[in-house]
Amino acid sequence: MSNNKHHMGMKTLNRLSNSAIYTLLVIISVVWLIPFVFIVLQSFRVESTYQVGYVVPHQWGFQNYINLWNSDFKRWYLNTFIIALAAAVLQTIIVLCMSYTLSRFRFKLRGPLMRFMLILGMFPGMLTMIILYRVLSDLGLTQANAVPGLILVSVASSGMGYYVSKGFFDTIPKSLDEAARVDGATRLQVLYKIILPLAKPIVIYTILTAFMGPWGDYVFARYVAFGTSAGYNVAVGMYSWLTNDQINNMYTTFCAGGVIVALPVTILFLCLQKYYVEGVTGGAVKG
Amino acid sequence: MASVKLTNVKKVYDKNVVAVHDFNLEIKDKEFVVFVGPSGCGKSTTLRMIAGLEEISEGTVEIDGEVVNDLQPKDRGIAMVFQNYALYPHMSVYDNIAFSLRLKKVPEDVIYDKVTKAAETLGITEYLMRKPRALSGGQRQRVAIGRAMVRDSKVFLMDEPLSNLDAKLRNQMRAEIILLRQKLDTTFIYVTHDQTEAMTLADRIVIMKDGFIMQVGSPDEVFDMPDNLFVAEFIGAPKMNIVKTGLVCENGKYYVTPFGAKIAVDGDKGEMLAERGVKGGEVLLGVRPEHIDLAKAGEDAIPCTLVVDEMMGSELHLHVDTEDGTRMIVRVPTIDISKEERKALVAGAKLYITFGGKAMHLFDPETEKNLLA
Ligand SMILES: Nc1ncnc2c1ncn2[C@@H]1O[C@H](COP(=O)(O)OP(=O)(O)OP(=O)(O)O)[C@@H](O)[C@H]1O
Ligand SMILES: [Mg+2]
Repeated sequence: MSNNKHHMGMKTLNRLSNSAIYTLLVIISVVWLIPFVFIVLQSFRVESTYQVGYVVPHQWGFQNYINLWNSDFKRWYLNTFIIALAAAVLQTIIVLCMSYTLSRFRFKLRGPLMRFMLILGMFPGMLTMIILYRVLSDLGLTQANAVPGLILVSVASSGMGYYVSKGFFDTIPKSLDEAARVDGATRLQVLYKIILPLAKPIVIYTILTAFMGPWGDYVFARYVAFGTSAGYNVAVGMYSWLTNDQINNMYTTFCAGGVIVALPVTILFLCLQKYYVEGVTGGAVKG
Repeated sequence: MASVKLTNVKKVYDKNVVAVHDFNLEIKDKEFVVFVGPSGCGKSTTLRMIAGLEEISEGTVEIDGEVVNDLQPKDRGIAMVFQNYALYPHMSVYDNIAFSLRLKKVPEDVIYDKVTKAAETLGITEYLMRKPRALSGGQRQRVAIGRAMVRDSKVFLMDEPLSNLDAKLRNQMRAEIILLRQKLDTTFIYVTHDQTEAMTLADRIVIMKDGFIMQVGSPDEVFDMPDNLFVAEFIGAPKMNIVKTGLVCENGKYYVTPFGAKIAVDGDKGEMLAERGVKGGEVLLGVRPEHIDLAKAGEDAIPCTLVVDEMMGSELHLHVDTEDGTRMIVRVPTIDISKEERKALVAGAKLYITFGGKAMHLFDPETEKNLLA
């Protein structure tokens, strides 16, 4: 009986601390969500286009979204989407192949190569901006052609982002590769039939970061587009609305743009977040 | 179904670690060969070179008469079972076993037949839909074997497949491997560091040390006639007693003189010694614990003191110290000892031990080679 009582005490205590944790989490998420809710509300405000001192719109409507549709935003959005998608696909392929190679193969220059990339990675990317612009402009990939230019920039250096996934691959026992190779798999088949399914969280992480980089890029995108609206991405394009002479006409449209920009990323995260949590390596080898 | 031939095979890891030196071995079709030796002696390395998982530094490996040095593992017609099972954790047991067949684009109905048949043989039918992490060690090992079975390969390679299992399960699986071998009827190469496993499974045992082959032979051969001291001590448990002693030759008959006793060498062995022109002198004498008997005082008996007695059930292991403090182990069947005698066998008891001339192994103290082999 006394044992039972003790047990119940533990339960109550557990429940209490759980409620405390949940309360805290709810408060934090509300704080995080306030700016987002604010932007969403502003994007549906149609009575005026400038900044106002209240939050809930007096008149609701889709005018801001219609304005977006009729502006250059379409073009910018498409630009950004193409760049981000291309980066996500190409960068993921390159990073995963690179990581697999560095994790599984032993070749002469492996060590020096990894050290070299580590050191190279310590220089801020901005340092290369001027020379990159020269190269891109010589290739004709600036201004109106900024999209392929930016894809090239983000993909070219992507091999250096191998650390996280190589670290994860290293934890997958090599005997799995060997078993698969004996079973008749080629190296490539080992990668996509064995390693990648086991490294799902890392693959997702790689795709997300590859997508997010160009999606939110401002500095490089602005530099490469160099004032040509056709080459803008959303960040650069929308920022051009915030200049002093534009802001009063475009403020609510800007908010609508913000919502549209946030949408795909939010959906992506919601779809993929469960893989972040899930681990799948149990039972491979006796542990 | 294939022979395997290794000719002058050598493995040098980077940083000039030589793991295997000049390995020569011919394995016949359907033979069960066991590589055995202490940790780090190069067993796995040799096996992995045969499998194609490790580059061959020098020499050639032939399977079925074809040099396979430059072939990928999948093209060598081998199947392999790994020590840590290496099951694919994201696939069900069924998919694990079917993996190689799917890669070969075998039709699904054929795969189904093969997988269910293998699962039946191994008694894992009820687990086919489970993931490996929901299986016990023994069940995982069966899956690993099943995965190798369905490949119908010419050579079956196993690297310490039982070493992760507990003693009881290990014995059970050992028996199952013998059955499996009868069923599959193919060439087996099996790596272990456990001499019991080697003795019970093998047609031929390859005993290795520091990358060198110390002896190749049937279990009987390596047990009865070890080529050298290393093999003599490695095979058999508890291990062979080795003492440094004199060998004398009187009137054409040989005697060993351990600890002041004088024991005649068996006639056949004496003849062999004579043939080889052994005059006498220092030798290393080896006697297996089970070949030593308790005795009465006499010329051929060695006086000693009992230190530890271990009751093993059917037999008794007596650890005794001779007068100069050399530790020896004696194995006597429990059934040969009366109740009174057993009572007297307590630490500190004075005993006499002896052994017959047939049971002796004589080694050269310099080269450690068997003088009789
Ligand atoms: N990748 C490697 N690089 C360098 N040396 C290695 C490598 N793999 C093995 N060795 C060395 O080669 C020798 C033989 O190793 P191997 O794995 O074949 O031993 P083993 O007989 O299988 O031992 P165990 O019973 O412990 O498995 C050892 O000395 C080991 O240190
Ligand atoms: Mg080994």
